Formats: sequence, C-alpha cells, structure tokens
Amino acid sequence: MRLVIDESRCKGCNLCTLVCPYRIFRPGTKANPRGVIVPELDRPERCANCRLQRLYGRTICGMCQMICPDQAISWEEEGPCEPMKVAIEY
Amino acid sequence: MTFDEWLRVDRLPHIYCAGCGNGTVINCTLSAVDQMGWKKEEIVFVSGIGCSSRAPGYIVTDSLHTTHGRAIAFATGIKMANPDLKVVVFTGDGDLAAIGGNHFIHGCRRNIDLTVICMNNMIYGMTGGQGSPTTPRGALSTTTPYGSSEAAFDLCGLAAAAGANYVARYTSYHVKELTLAIRTGLGNPGFSFIEALVQCPTNYGRRNKLRQVSDQIEYFKSHAILAQKAERMREEGKKIPDDMIIIGELARRNRPALGVRK
Amino acid sequence: MSRIDFMQGNTACAEGALAAGCRFFGGYPITPSTEIAEHMAAKLPKVGGVFIQMEDEIAGIASVIGASWTGARAMTATSGPGFSLMMENIGFAVMTETPCVVVNIQRGGPSTGQPTMAAQGDMLQCRFGSHGDYSIIALSPASVQEMYDLTAEAFNLADRFRIPVFVMADEIIGHMRERLMIPDSVHRGERKLLGKGNLPYQADDDLVPGFPVFGKGYGVHVTGLTHDERGYPCATSPSVHECLVKRLVDKVESARDSIASCDIVNPDARVVFISYGAPSRAVEQVLHDIHNDNVGHLRLKLVWPFAESLLSRFSNAETFIVPELNMGQMAREIKRHTNRRVIPVPKLGGALHDPFDLAALVEELL
Repeated sequence: MRLVIDESRCKGCNLCTLVCPYRIFRPGTKANPRGVIVPELDRPERCANCRLQRLYGRTICGMCQMICPDQAISWEEEGPCEPMKVAIEY
Repeated sequence: MTFDEWLRVDRLPHIYCAGCGNGTVINCTLSAVDQMGWKKEEIVFVSGIGCSSRAPGYIVTDSLHTTHGRAIAFATGIKMANPDLKVVVFTGDGDLAAIGGNHFIHGCRRNIDLTVICMNNMIYGMTGGQGSPTTPRGALSTTTPYGSSEAAFDLCGLAAAAGANYVARYTSYHVKELTLAIRTGLGNPGFSFIEALVQCPTNYGRRNKLRQVSDQIEYFKSHAILAQKAERMREEGKKIPDDMIIIGELARRNRPALGVRK
Repeated sequence: MSRIDFMQGNTACAEGALAAGCRFFGGYPITPSTEIAEHMAAKLPKVGGVFIQMEDEIAGIASVIGASWTGARAMTATSGPGFSLMMENIGFAVMTETPCVVVNIQRGGPSTGQPTMAAQGDMLQCRFGSHGDYSIIALSPASVQEMYDLTAEAFNLADRFRIPVFVMADEIIGHMRERLMIPDSVHRGERKLLGKGNLPYQADDDLVPGFPVFGKGYGVHVTGLTHDERGYPCATSPSVHECLVKRLVDKVESARDSIASCDIVNPDARVVFISYGAPSRAVEQVLHDIHNDNVGHLRLKLVWPFAESLLSRFSNAETFIVPELNMGQMAREIKRHTNRRVIPVPKLGGALHDPFDLAALVEELL
C-alpha cells in the first residue's frame, strides 16, 4: 500500500504533520496550481499502515486520515512489483 | 472502509476553511457508522444551518438540510414516522444552543432515539465570527469586540439534566475517542448527544491568539481533562482551572426511549 | 354504504385526514384548532399512525415535513399565532417540494386577538407569508361536510404538486356541529415516486419531480438552499435560482384552471356574491330569501391559486360583492382580475355577516 495525499482536496492545514508518530508529513514549501501548499511526504514507506494493513486486515494507526478535515489522505494499492534491470557498478 | 465510499466525492473539496475541525468530525462519524455495519439506505443525516450543517450534503445517504435550529424537530418527525431509519443529526453550537435550544431540551426530555453530534466551534463561523452561546467568557468575536461578558453554555450538562440517555464530549484532536463515543451513541437507544469541540481557525482562533490551526489543536490537547480525572481531583479537593475542558463519557443511562420499534 | 354522522367541523377535519390515509400528526395545542389534535391523538395510534405533540408550532410543522420524507401522509393543525410561527418552515416545504397539509382554523388577529372568534385574516398570509416567491394551494371549507371532503382532497393535491396545501377554515366552521355524510372511502391519489435514472429534482412534464422516499436507497440530498436538479446546493448561480423558483411557481399556477373548485349559482346574474368559508353561509341565506335570478353566487372551495377565469363565467355581472371576515383580502385579488365593480364587505370582530344587511345591499344595487 502507498500513502497518498489527494492534492485536489488538500487545503494545506498541516494537521497531518501534528499527529503522525513517524513524522512522515512535513509542511510543504511550494504552492500547487490551486495555490495550496500541500505537505510533503518524507519516506512514506515507513508508514506502519502501508506495510501492515494487509497483514492485519484493518487500518493500523490511521491518525493522519482520521484528523484530515479534507478527506485527502488515503492508502492506495500498489501494482505488483515490476522486475527492473539494475546496473550495479562495482 | 474508505471514506470515499461514504462521500459524495463529486462535491469535494467541501466548503470548510483550511484546518476546520468539522471535516474531522465527519471522518469520525463515518467511521463510527461504518463500524456499526449499517447500510447506507437505512441512515438519514439531518442538519440545520451553519458550517456544521453542511456536512450531510457531502455524505451519500439520504440527507435533510433544514432550517436554522430545527434539525432535531425534523429528525423527530422522520424517526417517529419510520423507526427503522437510523437518524443522525449534525448541528453546531449556535444552531443547537441558541435558536434550537428548545428543540434540543425537548429532544432530550422525550429521549427520542436520535444521535446528535454537535460541532462546537464556540463561534458563528458561517456568518463571519459572531459570539455564540458557547463563546467562553472574555473571548473576542465580531459581536463581542471587548470580550464576551456572558457565561458559556455547558451543552453536555444541559443534555444530561434534560434526560438524554448518552452524553459525551471530546474534541477534534481526540479522533479515536470521539469515534468510539459516536459509535456508542449510535448503538445506544434513546437520545445520544456527543459534543465535539472543533477548531475554527478562521473566525475563532484568529481573534483569540490561536492563529494557527495547530495552536487550537495544541490548546485542546493541553486543556482537555478526562471526566474521571476531574472527578478524582474534586474528591481530593484540588481545584480544576476554569479553562479546562472536561472530556469523556458524561452520562449513560437507560431511560425509556421514544421512536424505538417495540 | 356511507354513513350519516353528526359532528364538529374540527372532528370532521381529523376524520377526513384519517380517511385520506394521514398517518402522522405533529402539532401544538391552540384554540380554536385543538380538537383536531385531540381527535388525531385518540385515533392515529389505532390505525398504526403517529401523533406527537411538539414543543411549539415551529417544531410541529418541522416534524410533519420530516415525516413526509419517509413517505407518510402528514399534517398539522393550528391557528393564527401558530401559523405565523410556521411560516419559515412552510417556505422550506415549498423549496424542498415536500407534500404536507396545514389546517388553519382562523381566529381574530393580529397577535393573540380573539382566540374563540372567527376570522379570515390569514388568507394573504397563507399565500405570501413566507419569504421569497412561491405558490401554494389553499382550500376553504364552508360546512362540516367540506371540512371532511376538502381535508381529504388536500392530501391528494399536496402529493400531486409536492407542496404544502392549506385548509383555511375558520372558527365558525371548526366549531360548528352539523350533519355529515361519511363515504365508505375517499379518492386517494398516489404520490409519484422518483423514476429510476432520474435526478432527484428533475421535473417531469407536469413540472413536478418524482418523490424520493427516505430509506429506499435514493441517497437524495434535500436542502432549503437553492439547488440544482441533483439536489446539490447551488446558491450563487442566478440562472439555477431563476429556473427553480419559476418552476415552483409555475407548477401550481399553470394548473390553476384545472384544479379550480367552486359552486356557481345563477351565472347570468347581474349582481354576484363571491365568498369562501363561513360568509358563504350568510350569502346562501340571502339567495334563499330573495330568490332573484339577477343575484348570483360564486363560492370558492379552492381559494389559492385564484382562478380568474371563474369571473368570466358570469358574463352579465355588473357588480361583485365580496363578503369576508377580514378587511378585504380576497377582494383585493378579485379587483386585480376584473374591470367590473367590486364591493368588499369586510367584517371584523368574529360575528358573521347579517343576511339582512347583505340583502339590503343587493336591493340597492338591483
């Protein structure tokens, strides 16, 4: 699962930055085309819900989603991992 | 669950200002309703006028956005005429305590099976920040420019005294507790009243030294005191500061309820 | 087999409502309408209906509107002061197109006025009392029989047009006891339901949208704000508001000739009485006493929307005499629609017009 902020709904109140225990949300710096400064995600793969929701069958933590007044935070399914060619330089 | 399955997504983003606590209360309510396992067609959301009362318009169930203060009276008609419907009322402090005060106490007295969720932002938000019956003494608003000289209404105390079966108060910071309280209220027959203190950064915080959204949330966090702890402090003879917000379950009883199918 | 009974106007009103399938009454006691609430309180629980005495008339009409959205036929009854309190929510019912029936047993006003005396002072209030432009239907019974019949018909009209329908009786008719023929059953129109695939406020050819009953999965948003066809608030668009308000008015006004209901006596008369409600009885006495083909009578059972075409049915009329228990409220409406002479005969204080006075006026004119 992947943590996402819906930029079309977010109004930039930064409440998510207050409640995340991992401090994944950081106040943004740049206004989007709607003039809203959407928070930035700092290594969102650390979010417990991303990793454990499927395993436990329920939302883990989810504080950011609950407190978000604009219903802008959600977790979306990730597609199956695609094999990638990685060039390793020795 | 996802909130999107409960929301009229074509109407989002909603009209609330950035950082308004009403959106959080919608989340908690939808989460509680979903936990109850209720179907969308058996729920009706009713509201009056004000910021809080725009909430049902964003929820996919049947919803009735009524006149100022009368939401509980409309909801009474719906519930009495069809007790199979689960009726939830969204209201605000001005809507409920000022113009709708009479309907509120009579709803509690009848103990009709409604769940009333009051988004108390301590101000008239939609009309631009006038003082409301829950504006704390001394707080500034456009109609109390020298500080409110009136005492604020204790809505939970009022509901409990008037006979509501379930009364609880939380804030928009206490999302998990608020969700649980709403869920308990939904499951409890009779009149359930849940007061959710919400931040209004635009019209309340801005005038009362809580300019940032986070300031008001921090205020709720630091000034909330659980009812049990307050009780203990009283027993120990300690004084509870006046500006503390007593949160928690404040009444739960089993008076006969109206509008419940026998 | 119909049966004959002898009862009070208010009781007949309640019986008519029950026969029409009214299953919800929300109200507040007020003289001279209280007997309707009392009778409903006694009878509704026996037929599976709900009676609830609310905390005031505002809550009374609010609960009726709420109940109507669950699909029930719902009504309230009141008098002047309570009627004034209901005005805001009546506007709400118009805007949200909620069928409901409001009975107003009119008493002397303004303010507390004469609680136990008759008047017809609310005839313009019922038409124009709430804010904004709208149109409603108002019926005016002139006998105990009509209290029964017109109340039952009011529910059909409310469901057909999705509007509040008023039964504008007065204290005389409400408290009068009279012979009444109760039919086995009354005609019962059905409320047109919202069609599959239609938007909640998408009107059909009759300008009335189908009704989405709460609890049936329509997921409809009902708001007193100006709304579009989806029912979503759209309060700042001039065109949406204009379209909506014009339709709310037109759906009633365009039907005013087809729903007109009246009694006509001597259509070739030169002097014609126009009356509704209790004063009709004084006029009937005059016609009975003077027996002159030159004196006619137009008795309106359906007062609003006023069908001006009825006036042209009296092709020889030179003068219209309009006796009313107010200072000429409907006479003003009639004047608006005719170039013939209109003589209002106002009467205040609660007593009915004296047939001798009316007869004397006719003698003068003939």
